[in-house]
Amino acid sequence: MALEGLRILDFTRLGFGAQATLICGCLGAEVIRVESTRFPDAIRVMPPFVPEPGERGEAFGAATLANATGAASPNRGGIFYKYNTGGKKSITVNARHPRGLDLLKDLVAHSDVVTESFAAGTLDRWGLSYEVMRAIRPDLIYVSMCGFGHEGPDTDHVTMGPTAQALTGLTFIVGLPDRPPAGWSFSYLDHVGGYLGAIAILAGAMHRGRTGEGQHIDVSQLEPATTLSGALVLDALVNNRPSRRPGFPTGNRRAHPPSGPSGAYRAQGDDKWVVVSCRTQQHWEALVEVMGRPPWAADPRFATVAGRAEHADDLDAHVQAWTSERDRYDVMDALQRAGVPAGAVQDAADRLERDPQLAARGHYTMLGNAEVAPLPLEGVPFRMSATPPHTGGVLHRGPPCLGEDNTAVLAGVLGMSADEIAALEADGALS
Amino acid sequence: MSAPLDSVRVLELTDESADYCGRLLAGLGADVVKVEPPDGAPSRHIGPFLDDEPGPDRSLCFWADNVGKRSVVVDDDAEVVALCGSADVLVHTLRPAQAEARGLGFAALHELAPSLVVCAVTPFGSDGPWADYLADDLVLMALGGSMAACGYGPGADGVYDTPPLASHGDQAWRTASTYAAIAVLGALAWRTVSGAGQLIDVSAHECSASMTEWHLMTYLCSGGVHRRGPHPTLTASDGRQVAALNPDFLGPHVFAGMLEMLEREGVAGPLSDPAFADPVHRAGNYREVWRALKRLADKHDGETLYELGQSAGLPWGVIRSPDEVLDDRHLRARGHFVELEHPELGRSMVYAGAPFLAHASPWVMERRPPLLGEHTDEVRAQWAGR
Repeated sequence: MALEGLRILDFTRLGFGAQATLICGCLGAEVIRVESTRFPDAIRVMPPFVPEPGERGEAFGAATLANATGAASPNRGGIFYKYNTGGKKSITVNARHPRGLDLLKDLVAHSDVVTESFAAGTLDRWGLSYEVMRAIRPDLIYVSMCGFGHEGPDTDHVTMGPTAQALTGLTFIVGLPDRPPAGWSFSYLDHVGGYLGAIAILAGAMHRGRTGEGQHIDVSQLEPATTLSGALVLDALVNNRPSRRPGFPTGNRRAHPPSGPSGAYRAQGDDKWVVVSCRTQQHWEALVEVMGRPPWAADPRFATVAGRAEHADDLDAHVQAWTSERDRYDVMDALQRAGVPAGAVQDAADRLERDPQLAARGHYTMLGNAEVAPLPLEGVPFRMSATPPHTGGVLHRGPPCLGEDNTAVLAGVLGMSADEIAALEADGALS
Repeated sequence: MSAPLDSVRVLELTDESADYCGRLLAGLGADVVKVEPPDGAPSRHIGPFLDDEPGPDRSLCFWADNVGKRSVVVDDDAEVVALCGSADVLVHTLRPAQAEARGLGFAALHELAPSLVVCAVTPFGSDGPWADYLADDLVLMALGGSMAACGYGPGADGVYDTPPLASHGDQAWRTASTYAAIAVLGALAWRTVSGAGQLIDVSAHECSASMTEWHLMTYLCSGGVHRRGPHPTLTASDGRQVAALNPDFLGPHVFAGMLEMLEREGVAGPLSDPAFADPVHRAGNYREVWRALKRLADKHDGETLYELGQSAGLPWGVIRSPDEVLDDRHLRARGHFVELEHPELGRSMVYAGAPFLAHASPWVMERRPPLLGEHTDEVRAQWAGR
């Protein structure tokens, strides 16, 4: 695998940082999660919980970090299984125990990369600042991932994905004209921040390979987002067309390139939708053909792309009258066979149970652990011919139970004997 | 000071769907050369345009995703193949049959240049029942699951009267481009060990399908699916919105800081009742919390409200438009925005720069987007012979 031999000592929690190390794990890096039995990663202990086979659990709706206590097990938190594939291992170490801290320092000495996603300053307070770690391992690549990063005037600000999305313009650009922004109902930036965290790890490894030099790379959740709005910032600066203006954002309509009909149209069923997106004259003519050449389509207002864009409301009403009597997948397949870009609006259930493309591509991998029966889990969404990534990492295993690898890591990485490990455990250092 | 991809040559044959991949690789120091037909790459013809006048060197869409690259105009596929022989990486957006037809199939390229990393970014990947289907970003956002979870909530009757929404900015393509860059880095790491190149096959659909956080897990655990609706927002005195997540999400300790701030502002009302110290009571009476927050919002403009919330430890964020982000003092202090000269226009433009701070190997942000064919002769001379 591409990153085989790269060892990452991983202190990340929740989504943002864990997304970065799961990517590295899927590419073959050895990822050792350092966890705590006393303060487990919240996504290990908050709903939704993976149910016993044949049962249905609680949905995420009621979850807060505040009510996360009282979970029966730290190994059933569903969201943990989204962000901790890649064959990650788990050890539990009490950093506030002197022997625990020594143990972490030994592990730093044996690691290429340290990753973490705590609030800025947390590792310093443990006695594991970058300066301390660099003294132990001079070529260490230390990648911190937190909302506002470790440098700058506002590093004490508290963020979740939706906070960063609001501040960076991403919330603003999802919405219908002249209504408040709708934004994203989930933390898209936990993913994007994690992708850039993975790039930071890889870039750090590449730089070290060339120069022998380690470094601290400071990843925030804000900077990865500022390029995601494409040309909108330049349009504001150059053409004096700020995004906060009447009629913008434009829902699903796009002015560039001009297109139409283009949007989400109601299909048969309760709140079912299908996207049709004609970007060329050819797409439009093929759509008209599939719809059976209805008389309204011959309206001269709809003859050109410019005309269709100008009269989009009327046009969309006609198209929706046609789609709304049909199944969204039937519309998609009929249009695609005729050469028109179209796609059903799918939710997670559709992706898992109806999407033949994801199934054929092997998008999901069945993985479990000692406590949880195999589930269809996700890794990285690309293939590599010479070094195929695997959702279960080098060892093809599922997300780890809390502390599952204590013995294997301490013996395998640090060469500790069973007696030494037992003594640490008895001393409370492995909690 | 050096960059991680110094002296790595990337040849790019992409349309607007994957231009962003090369932008990321250029930021890491790669010499990214965009191969274009005589009338320019597709994204040069997508607006908005400088002063709204179309032209291959005036597309802001092109500028945004091609900053840092060089441009060569090559009209002859044999020369493109020859350039591949001098490159370390080829990133393209051709479907398998299109690549074959142009002599850019992986088998042929691998024989010519065994260490070449080839990365193909396509809507659905190289195989599968939808492999030949057509997609733009909107189609991919629909199929991937983001749209189903973005938009306005249902009306009072429980019926959704507005459609699912996709974000502006081509997020499915951007995610695919970012994963493509990750895969290229992985392949380059492997190449330093093995000397061998390989084929990377990026399905933008798979990329789009894997970015909806906990939705798959919710379905697996509970059988429920996530519907759309905005996060809670407060409307400030200037009409600006502030995303104001339930602070209990972070843990019970956060309420104390919030209460102190609300009392200082004189809007705490019933929240000062000690009963509200109990998270269970709070959860049952969250309406009172929200009313107090609305009283606070009535008193302050959006940016002030954001700072007030943050000063109390609340994960609040004022909703800014993309261009309003340029004023953020934190990003400015981190040196995030970079001004690049466009000498042929006699002016400079501001671009978002480094996605992270790596002081030993800083992000490279020196070249403005290339004019069409600007570097044709230069690249031919430099790349000849390897």
